Amino acid sequence: MSFAPRPAIQPWKRANNSRRLQIILATLLPGALSFLIVSSASIDPNLALIAIFLPLQIIAAGIVGVRAYGKRGFGDALLVVLTTFFSAFVLIMLLSVLLSVLSEGSKAISLQFLTQNNIYVSNTTSLDYGGVAHALLGTVLIVGVTTIVAVPLGIAMSVYLTQSQSKLRGIVRTVTQALSGLPSVVSGLFVLSVIGTFGFSKSGIFGSMALFPLMLPTVARVAEEALKLVPADLRLAALALGAPNYKAFFQVILPAAKSGLVTALLLGLARVIGETAPLLLTVNVNNGTSWNPFNGPMETLPAYVYGYLSSSFSSSHQRAWGAALVLLLLVAVLFGAARFLGRAKSMKSKPTKQKASK
Amino acid sequence: MGKLKPMSDSSVPKTAPARRKLSAGPLSAGDKWFFRSTSIAAYFSFVLVALVLIFLFLKAWPALQHQGFAFVYGTKWIAEDGQPLVMQIGPMIYGSLLIALVGVVIATPMAISLAYMIVFMLGSKLAKVFTTLIDLLAALPSVIIGLWGFYVFTPTAISWETTLHQYLGWFPLFQVENPDNAFRGSPFIAGWIVAVMIVPIVTSVTREIFSQLDKDLINGALALGGSRLSVFRKVILPTSSGGVVGGVLLGLGRALGETVAIFYVLQISFDINWGNLLEGHGGGVASWILSRFGEASPEEISGLMAAGLVLFVITLIVNFAANTIVNRSQPWRKN
Repeated sequence: MSFAPRPAIQPWKRANNSRRLQIILATLLPGALSFLIVSSASIDPNLALIAIFLPLQIIAAGIVGVRAYGKRGFGDALLVVLTTFFSAFVLIMLLSVLLSVLSEGSKAISLQFLTQNNIYVSNTTSLDYGGVAHALLGTVLIVGVTTIVAVPLGIAMSVYLTQSQSKLRGIVRTVTQALSGLPSVVSGLFVLSVIGTFGFSKSGIFGSMALFPLMLPTVARVAEEALKLVPADLRLAALALGAPNYKAFFQVILPAAKSGLVTALLLGLARVIGETAPLLLTVNVNNGTSWNPFNGPMETLPAYVYGYLSSSFSSSHQRAWGAALVLLLLVAVLFGAARFLGRAKSMKSKPTKQKASK
Repeated sequence: MGKLKPMSDSSVPKTAPARRKLSAGPLSAGDKWFFRSTSIAAYFSFVLVALVLIFLFLKAWPALQHQGFAFVYGTKWIAEDGQPLVMQIGPMIYGSLLIALVGVVIATPMAISLAYMIVFMLGSKLAKVFTTLIDLLAALPSVIIGLWGFYVFTPTAISWETTLHQYLGWFPLFQVENPDNAFRGSPFIAGWIVAVMIVPIVTSVTREIFSQLDKDLINGALALGGSRLSVFRKVILPTSSGGVVGGVLLGLGRALGETVAIFYVLQISFDINWGNLLEGHGGGVASWILSRFGEASPEEISGLMAAGLVLFVITLIVNFAANTIVNRSQPWRKN
């Protein structure tokens, strides 16, 4: 074994300018080169992405890696390039979904699209008439009824899972988790069977009923996470001061976990607001406005999108995109509110920690 | 307590006093009601699963009785007027599995890459942005993904399929027997759509497990001269494989139940597409239910109920297995 002087590899040193240049070159060159090849040799771009760009990028990153870190640098480079490639794929798809809904949907959106219903609209009516107001109202009513039942029940479940000492908690958790995988169409079929068995007629309330099994597990799971974040000391201190469990919950834990529980509510809403199949099976579609979820047909946003997409006229497709945009905005608002509250919670929890340490 | 007696008193029996029962049960009436109501809510999940099974079974029974076990593995669905009703869901079950499998195969590398980037490569701020974006993808309604898949993704995917067929057409999966009916509405496209929908769930499980790995183990392996790749293959993957498999199974369960998005992008036909991923015909239990539902007679509705029952049982089993694996590989989540 000899100790010949090796080229000095110093991975702990900060990148100097020449290495920065190498990294920049390795990032830009392969893309530019493969673009040139594709445009000059008229190769299928799909093939070029996999067969030209990716190998070039791996080789370029590998050269920089080996120069910087020696032999192990190649493994670094390979993993970095591959993970970035795959991740970028997902993000590009997500952006593509968002952008296409925004650009196509904004063509249909107008004040009257948001405020009118579709009573006098046929497949060939221009986009200047008719709108989604009735569908928006139906979605809000149907999802609202589901929320009123599912949220208290879900929170009570999460209280059972976090506060009680019952031995059945593990089974309850397993069953709830299994329930969260319930296919939405099965939930619709279940309610359809209920309707058929008791001889009811389809109406909005059964749509709510079909959304309920989908919303409940989401609320229960997120609420359980929120309640787990409340320090156990708080509850124990309240109990030690002589408070009964329910007072400890309502006066100590509930205020502390409030924003987390609201997040559970919002994520539950986002889960069911775009569900289509259960509503198609249990609620009859309607072109007019209906305020009554307990009787008669009712339109919802997902059913609206579904219905207009199935027709073959281009103005109908425009309507479908417009309704999809409204639906997307609803989801985005709910989701953004949930994120905002989640962040507010983590900022609030810092002062309480300091207090506890005093 | 009675009077204290000297130990030597022979009148005291030598047996130990009965054990005092220790219990941590609720003491006040309010507490009793509090715990009782939360338990009722919790047991409601059992009731709900039972209700779903019972009501589906109730309506599915005529069809199941009529078809017997052939309902599950048979390959014919004849529901036209004037012909004896035959309902067998076999091809659709196979189609569901095929599409879900394609989706999982596409989604898994992407999800693992994303989780790796979020946990090991990005700074905390960027990681948060990525996590939010992935969660947003999870919150997108399937009808929107279906709309996008039909208008925006299908043309792109068709060009991918053309390339695949051109260069890898000799491979059985990419063969096309009938060129007139190729590419549009194929299981390949449906698999991609399903992959987009299950990437978030696989990512979030994998991310959770990656972030709980022992950092010392990873830093130690790096200090011993391992590259990122070798550390990933020899340290990260082996220690987290159980949870990742569980996450993938969860995604599989979600993929099996996907309805509307597949309904839009797939050309649904009731014949078995054994694995010609690029041919424009296939099916899935959920989307078959949706596509038949509009014009079904009451007898056929019963068959669709039975199909729903079969789908529910399959997803229950897959989800149960997945959750068991995930929970076992996340011991830190036990409270």
